[in-house]
Amino acid sequence: MKLIKKFLVMQLSLLMAICLSACSSGGGSSAEDPTAKTVKIGVLVSDTTSAEALSFRSYYENYIKSVYNVDFMYSDELKDAAAEQSAIDNFIANNCQAIISFASADRPAQIEKCETEGIYYAVATGTLTDEQYEQFKSYKYYVGAIGPDLAIEYQAGYDMAKFYLDQGYTKFGMFTGASVYFTEMHIYRAAGMIAAMCEAGNGDYEGAKGMDIVGKIMSEGGNVNTGKIGSVELNGVVAGYDFDDAWFGKLAAVANDPNVEVLLAVGSGQTAFAGFKPEGKMLGDIDCYTADSVGLMKAGTLNYLAGKFSASIGPIFAATLSAVYGKPIRTADGNAFALSQGYWIATDAETAEKYFEVDSSTTAPAYTKEKLDTLIGASYDDFAKFVSAYSFEDIQK
Amino acid sequence: MEKKENKRKFTSGKLLNLAPVIGMILMAAVFLAIAYMKDVNIPYSFKNILNQSIITMVVATGAVFIYTLGAFDISLGASMCVSALVGAMAYNRTGSLLIMLGVCVGCAVLVSLISSVLASVFNLPVFVTTIAMLSLLNAFALVLIKANGTGDVVQVPANAVRGINTVWFKLIVLILFLAFCIFAFSFMKLGRQEKFVGGNPICAALSGLNASKLSIIGFMMAGLGVGLGAFLTITYAPTLSRNTAGSVGMDVIISIVFGGMPVSGGARSRIYSAAVGSLSMTLLSQIMLMLNFDSGISQMVKAVIFLLVVYVSMLNSRKTILPR
Repeated sequence: MKLIKKFLVMQLSLLMAICLSACSSGGGSSAEDPTAKTVKIGVLVSDTTSAEALSFRSYYENYIKSVYNVDFMYSDELKDAAAEQSAIDNFIANNCQAIISFASADRPAQIEKCETEGIYYAVATGTLTDEQYEQFKSYKYYVGAIGPDLAIEYQAGYDMAKFYLDQGYTKFGMFTGASVYFTEMHIYRAAGMIAAMCEAGNGDYEGAKGMDIVGKIMSEGGNVNTGKIGSVELNGVVAGYDFDDAWFGKLAAVANDPNVEVLLAVGSGQTAFAGFKPEGKMLGDIDCYTADSVGLMKAGTLNYLAGKFSASIGPIFAATLSAVYGKPIRTADGNAFALSQGYWIATDAETAEKYFEVDSSTTAPAYTKEKLDTLIGASYDDFAKFVSAYSFEDIQK
Repeated sequence: MEKKENKRKFTSGKLLNLAPVIGMILMAAVFLAIAYMKDVNIPYSFKNILNQSIITMVVATGAVFIYTLGAFDISLGASMCVSALVGAMAYNRTGSLLIMLGVCVGCAVLVSLISSVLASVFNLPVFVTTIAMLSLLNAFALVLIKANGTGDVVQVPANAVRGINTVWFKLIVLILFLAFCIFAFSFMKLGRQEKFVGGNPICAALSGLNASKLSIIGFMMAGLGVGLGAFLTITYAPTLSRNTAGSVGMDVIISIVFGGMPVSGGARSRIYSAAVGSLSMTLLSQIMLMLNFDSGISQMVKAVIFLLVVYVSMLNSRKTILPR
């Protein structure tokens, strides 16, 4: 009997604890003014631990939530399409009125589901393919997408490689991240880097030049091969995110290769190369602004950073909120928008520090409430103009 | 007096055996109470809970046949991923859902058979071969995706499976599979023999039981569950990647333990444990979600409850007599 009592006491304690915490967090509401009622937004995330993901979350949680009457509900780390479907089901069950998606295992399925269930859906830090956009642009509940499109990803890689090529460097090593998992973003960035090498070296990459390099990498299973590109040398390549001894060994070997002057990373370059890189060797990365990246730039470990800024997800939030308030932002044809947004580029520690200071602020981030308020109910043209002026200087104006 | 004491012990033991079911009912009560307070869409939530737990229930129920033997298969998720990929590719070539189902089940059973036969031939612990299979299957999934030539995913057209992506269809599959497993486990000698081997392999061998044969049958049953799980996964989310079913292996272990079954297998194995555990886990996840707990905190709460459940189930293990 004692055992049964013990068991029941445990179960009841658990029940009481859960009920108490349920009672402690409730929300009041008022009926007429849409802004008076808390808007519940679900956020689909495929990454919960990277610096970029944390800075995005911090912007929503520590700034947006404090200035708007909204509540965010986050998914767990979503790894596949089934997990995305489950997360959307969870949001619908919990009466979320809109979903902002950072997860891309199966975007068409996400959009279809939200349309069927009558819940607004927006893509943050990403875009749909042209075919997907044509398919979904007229959906009532599809708000739109803002993020670096694949052309911008290609250009980001190109610009970074060109920055070093213009300085006369000719021997490169690369980290191509998730290219071997066919992640388009990383393939396009890598292709951009190689395209710049082809131009500067007056050569080609296994017969391909320019955008054709994307197809070449795809046909090789996402792998980039070492070799001579005209007068430029690509002497070491590491891919994947194995995080095992062999993987770290390969990174260390490329970082310390005397035939490599510059290390280029399509992302996570600070994780991949910074720890192994000897002094004097150059490192460029496409990532985001964090205290660590600024520290590395100050130390001279990192010399080029094309970074997303955390407030870049402000306009998509404003567009989503506008849709929930009954003022969706649509193109002249009445379709959802597809807007591109690029990176902030820092090539010295001072600039990186300046960017980070604004980016990490929880009181005056790059996109403040005053700026975002102008987007609620804005016309498509005004909205597009606002989003396209994404450079640090433009935003500060 | 002694008779009375024995009766009391017997009753408390029976009740503790039912602890997982009581826990699940309590969890459902808590869920309903919070859902009511938070104005949650309860009918949609129930549909959601079933949707999210059925696949784990099916796979875990099949896996009970392995766990009862005291064995452990770490490659169930990878096997499900490969089966789903092969099944999807088969559909894309034939356009037949029946062929897709057959290929999913066939592939999963074949993978299970390879694991168990390898273990029998080389006289290795099954656990060791499943570790090898895990690496092999993960690599094979990448090869399949690459061979398919459609980027990083293999897709079945959503329209093709929309008709069967319903809770009712999944429930029918679950009920049929559960009925089959309950029959095989509780009404045939297979279940009793497996419990004997899991509880005391030496005694079982001396009694003439062929552990290798039982292991192969157990793995085949698990393969059947994995194959059906793969099929249901395609119907729920027809875009498959190398991450498909990545969490299934761990979900199965947690569900089985949550359902009150010892991981060491043996006489206290219960075929219903997987279904009860899986449903309890999903209810718990939903409660955490309604409370908007941070993912890390949710994991910690789940871990504490997991330990609590294991502790409660251990209270019932008799130290002086054989378990029944």
